[in-house]
Amino acid sequence: MIPDWKVVQDYFEILEFPELKGIIFMQTACQAVQHQRGRRQYNKLRNLLKDARHDCVLFANEFQQSCYLPRERGESMEKWQSRSIYNAATWYYHHCQDRMPIVMVTEDEEAIQQYGSETEGVFVISLKNYLDNFWPDLKATHELCESILQSRRERENESQESHGKEYPEHLPLEVLQAGIKSGRYIQGTLNVNKHRAQIEAFVRLQGASSKDSGLVSDILIHGMKARNRSIHGDVVVVELLPKNEWKGRTTALGENDGESPSEPMPTGRVVGILQKNWRDYVVTFPSKEEVQSQGKNARKILVTPWDYRIPKIRISTQQAEALQDFRVVVRIDSWESTSMYPSGHFVRVLGRIGDLEGEIATILVENSISVVPFSEAQMCEMPVNTTKNPWKVSSEEERERKDLRKTHLVFSIDPRGCEDVDDTLSVRALDNGNLELGVHIADVTHFVTSHSYIDIEARTRATTYYLADRRYDMLPSILSADVCSLLGGVDRYAVSIMWELDKTSYEIKKVWYGRTIIRSAYKLFYEAAQELLDGNVDIVDDIPEFRDMDEKSRQAKLEELLWAIGKLTDIARHIRAKRDRCGALGLEGVEVCIQLDEKNIHDLIPKQPLEVHETVAECMILANHWVAKKIYESFPRQALLRRHPPPHQEFFSELRECAKAKGFFIDTRSNKALADSLDNANDPNDPIVNWLLRSMATQAMSNALYFSTGSCAEEEFHHYGLALDKYTHFTSPIRRYSDIIVHRLLMAAISKDKKMEIKENLFSNKDLEELCRHINNRNRAAQHSQKQSTELFQCMYFKDKDPETEERCIADGVIYSIRTNGVLVFIPRFGIKGAAYLKNKDGLVISCSPDGHSEWKPGSLQRFQNKITSTTTGGESVTFHLFDHVTVRISVQASRCHSDTIRLEIISNKPYMMPDTELFQQSSFLLKSDLVKEVTRSMEEAQLAQEVKVNVIKKDYQKYCQTKGRSLYTLLEEIRDLALLDVSNSYGI
Amino acid sequence: MAGLELLSDQGYRVDGRRAGELRKIQARMGVFAQADGSAYIEQGNTKALAVVYGPHEIRGSRARALPDRALVNCQYSSATFSTGERKRRPHGDRKSCEMGLQLRQTFEAAVLTQLHPRSQIDIYVQVLQADGGTYAACVNAATLAVLDAGIPMRDFVCACSAGFVDGTALADLSHVEEAAGGPQLALALLPSSGQIALLEMDARLHEDQLEQVLETAAQAARDVHTLLDRVVRQHVQEASILLGD
Repeated sequence: MIPDWKVVQDYFEILEFPELKGIIFMQTACQAVQHQRGRRQYNKLRNLLKDARHDCVLFANEFQQSCYLPRERGESMEKWQSRSIYNAATWYYHHCQDRMPIVMVTEDEEAIQQYGSETEGVFVISLKNYLDNFWPDLKATHELCESILQSRRERENESQESHGKEYPEHLPLEVLQAGIKSGRYIQGTLNVNKHRAQIEAFVRLQGASSKDSGLVSDILIHGMKARNRSIHGDVVVVELLPKNEWKGRTTALGENDGESPSEPMPTGRVVGILQKNWRDYVVTFPSKEEVQSQGKNARKILVTPWDYRIPKIRISTQQAEALQDFRVVVRIDSWESTSMYPSGHFVRVLGRIGDLEGEIATILVENSISVVPFSEAQMCEMPVNTTKNPWKVSSEEERERKDLRKTHLVFSIDPRGCEDVDDTLSVRALDNGNLELGVHIADVTHFVTSHSYIDIEARTRATTYYLADRRYDMLPSILSADVCSLLGGVDRYAVSIMWELDKTSYEIKKVWYGRTIIRSAYKLFYEAAQELLDGNVDIVDDIPEFRDMDEKSRQAKLEELLWAIGKLTDIARHIRAKRDRCGALGLEGVEVCIQLDEKNIHDLIPKQPLEVHETVAECMILANHWVAKKIYESFPRQALLRRHPPPHQEFFSELRECAKAKGFFIDTRSNKALADSLDNANDPNDPIVNWLLRSMATQAMSNALYFSTGSCAEEEFHHYGLALDKYTHFTSPIRRYSDIIVHRLLMAAISKDKKMEIKENLFSNKDLEELCRHINNRNRAAQHSQKQSTELFQCMYFKDKDPETEERCIADGVIYSIRTNGVLVFIPRFGIKGAAYLKNKDGLVISCSPDGHSEWKPGSLQRFQNKITSTTTGGESVTFHLFDHVTVRISVQASRCHSDTIRLEIISNKPYMMPDTELFQQSSFLLKSDLVKEVTRSMEEAQLAQEVKVNVIKKDYQKYCQTKGRSLYTLLEEIRDLALLDVSNSYGI
Repeated sequence: MAGLELLSDQGYRVDGRRAGELRKIQARMGVFAQADGSAYIEQGNTKALAVVYGPHEIRGSRARALPDRALVNCQYSSATFSTGERKRRPHGDRKSCEMGLQLRQTFEAAVLTQLHPRSQIDIYVQVLQADGGTYAACVNAATLAVLDAGIPMRDFVCACSAGFVDGTALADLSHVEEAAGGPQLALALLPSSGQIALLEMDARLHEDQLEQVLETAAQAARDVHTLLDRVVRQHVQEASILLGD
């Protein structure tokens, strides 16, 4: 099939369908797209061509001697383009010796008439005709085609009518570029304030322009008019307004009109958009009543996007009524200056509102995550491992690799029930008395060869996505849970790093990198390892490997293992201490575990960390660090590393203020000083204070990022959080694509050492930089989706509980930030953060009776630096300080178009009476008993090969990046995304 | 529309060439009767004319004469109509002075000047149409003209430019590619010995990539050599036929 230039321009989304394969794009058509639709769509086209799954090719017809047609005198551009494409199609048909029929798809009636029957075997038909004849079953494309047609027709009609203009026109590109150069305009990315999407948006300055203009803060864009049709995420050009028109940002909570805006900040208006970052949006159609109120023009419907930051979108469709209760994906086509809202078209349906699957699909689309099952072509590349045909170590590999099966005691420590074990450890004493520490990582790159189908798919996914109740794997389960997973008792390929350490000082003497074969002796879980470390050998019965041994060999083996774990912990402590001296930060998040059963959430339980966690983490950090050193040495311009830039000092001001309220001083000048002062800032009566301060420090930091060493100066490689000069991700290739790249780099580095030729499958600096951007992007999406899915579950948890009666909905909260009309409260019990108003919609303020219970009364609020006072007209007053404990009631605010949100209401200014410790005990008790029940049940379920719903995925986003497989109760750790600010700039190392 | 794509994903350049491909080269020798040697060359749309006088006695001040070898005097000029915008280019502006100097260096390296002490060789080059690679076209034209004049040379001097885009080296840049602002390298080569007569580079290029670009330029220069060699042989054949009559 060969699409006409016009089809490529207007119906590109249809061509993007994975079912449509074997499309030949003519160079003429591509160039027409490039000229008329701009870079964005052209890039989409390029990606489509690059994507091996689509089987599309570009034919450079203008460079082909027999296809080139000069443009005739007086011939219009369009006519010439159609003629060229048709000519090339005919040529191609003859080139294939008239065996393959060619279909040229065009929207031009004249062309159909003119060329339709000119050459036999080359059919010229319209797109609609094509879809009807060739893809009668592909309903989605038909709908899409319809909706595009309709929205195009609308647009044409509209442009004929001459409306009054709603927005000023954008300036032409040359003017914008000249303006940016001269400093008259400023370029930046538009960020809409989620809570005041109608009014406030900020433009974050990009790169050089911030230095030139001398502006430190972002620029405020006040109101829709000034925003001038730009949408969240667009790269816009802004003109600053004169100083007397500057406005302040509102600091009040919620939609109450901001009474006391802060001091004026630079304010501007958008004069042009450089790059539109429109994506697919999830929207909800208005309910029936609303449709009627929208009036006569019922075919054009205003739909509300799920994301608050996106303006309403005008859709013309006849299916509005049928789509009422669904979440729907739409795309924005254009935003004319004559129209209040952008117009778009309907793409597909996701699911019912309020339905778990629908809501999860919504989260995925909003984060641009697409997870389709692995295709057959991809699965064909996979190794086989069945009981009949078990996977074996091949003899060639045996020769190539170092065999550690006999010599090393290798074991893994993971969460209970974990399936994808990608790291194992070993430690042994050498003959010369020194110690040898080994980290063995699953050799994924052996199975995932560069540029294979599975590699391309993994690159697109970039990471495994963990949602609160499920996960979307980066690699098929045959790899992730079987052949690559370093399970106990079976031979596996690994990539190993082994250090020779001095026996007493643990100084690193030598290091060895290479491919190995290992057989993991024990697959321990954290709790068991901790017990062993504590000298508690009763746990042995829980370890399957020991079960079948006789008493004597068991004793010997156990001692061997005990020694290894003990030594390992010792080494880890030592390395950690060394890193601490350089200023490594320990920034724990809340570890919360959600218990689920059959879609209902039992409980949300915070979890305690163990020392073994830290031991494993430390070994992984060490491995990552040494790999980073190695690959940087070998490939100074194209190594993938991970950096964590030092934070801006301004961001710490809030932290310092808060700490001051409690009488602590936080020194933020260096990571060392920060770590020390955070350790000191410990309130013996209230451990939450220290935790909150740490979490605020985390918020103030920038995100850690992947980057290519060729695009950054060496001083910038530093990892602030870990206090290491070079760092990368190497230890979880099953879950992260970055690790796969690092593995390939390391392998190339080793073969370079051995003077072997390097395979040409490394990325150049530029490609790598682009890839890093993609991976960073995907990681952010993964974090957001995880956060949003957790919130979804939290809401579902509280939704069916009546806040008035249910005892669990009342909890103890800590105030961690003060706003003009309320406070932000953190609930340690559930790890929830939210806002609590001190002034309600009727203008009444809170007041507390002597026993602590609160009521709403008329009065006023007064905000100070560290406290907020509410005074009623009766003269009573109540003051809330930072870090005060209060009792809050949790309820859910339902919303049709958006996600539900948690609402907090202060019901008493006294701490909640139920002591925390008791509560924890109670809940952990509950955990254990439930656990047993669920273990048995899920076993049965697994046998029945049913969909296992009782799995909660441990959030793996930890600094040591352990894999948390699908397990019975796995844990949701570090919900630091639920952290203090709604901007989720969570901190990952 | 954002910047032009110089090298498409399929590996085509803007004018449809592959990365290492040259533009079409056509040349003729002996285009003027009154000069000692002359040649005309077209490299794609770049057209250049070269005329050689000499070796003859030093004109003007005798003091310039060199006791052991001939003086090579090069002058470069480009026609008013040679570029997109019509512009008068007076003799002796900086650009043509520089180009003249470069040509002189190139040919001092190639011509066996020590055979003609105290004499002068004049090489005049005029660019009729400039579409990138003017230096290369001038050198190639001048080589042919010098050969036409029968002045002994060590070897042909073949020149070609090369650029670097998206990790790939491009040979024989056109004007569009030059204007894009990437690094550009001009190389004049003595093909049989592989010696470099002149190497010039503007803009920054990482040293890791220099080798690749240099190799591309050298390969292109060798390709030019084959073409020029063919032109010379054909010219000699024609001339011998004429003489034979």
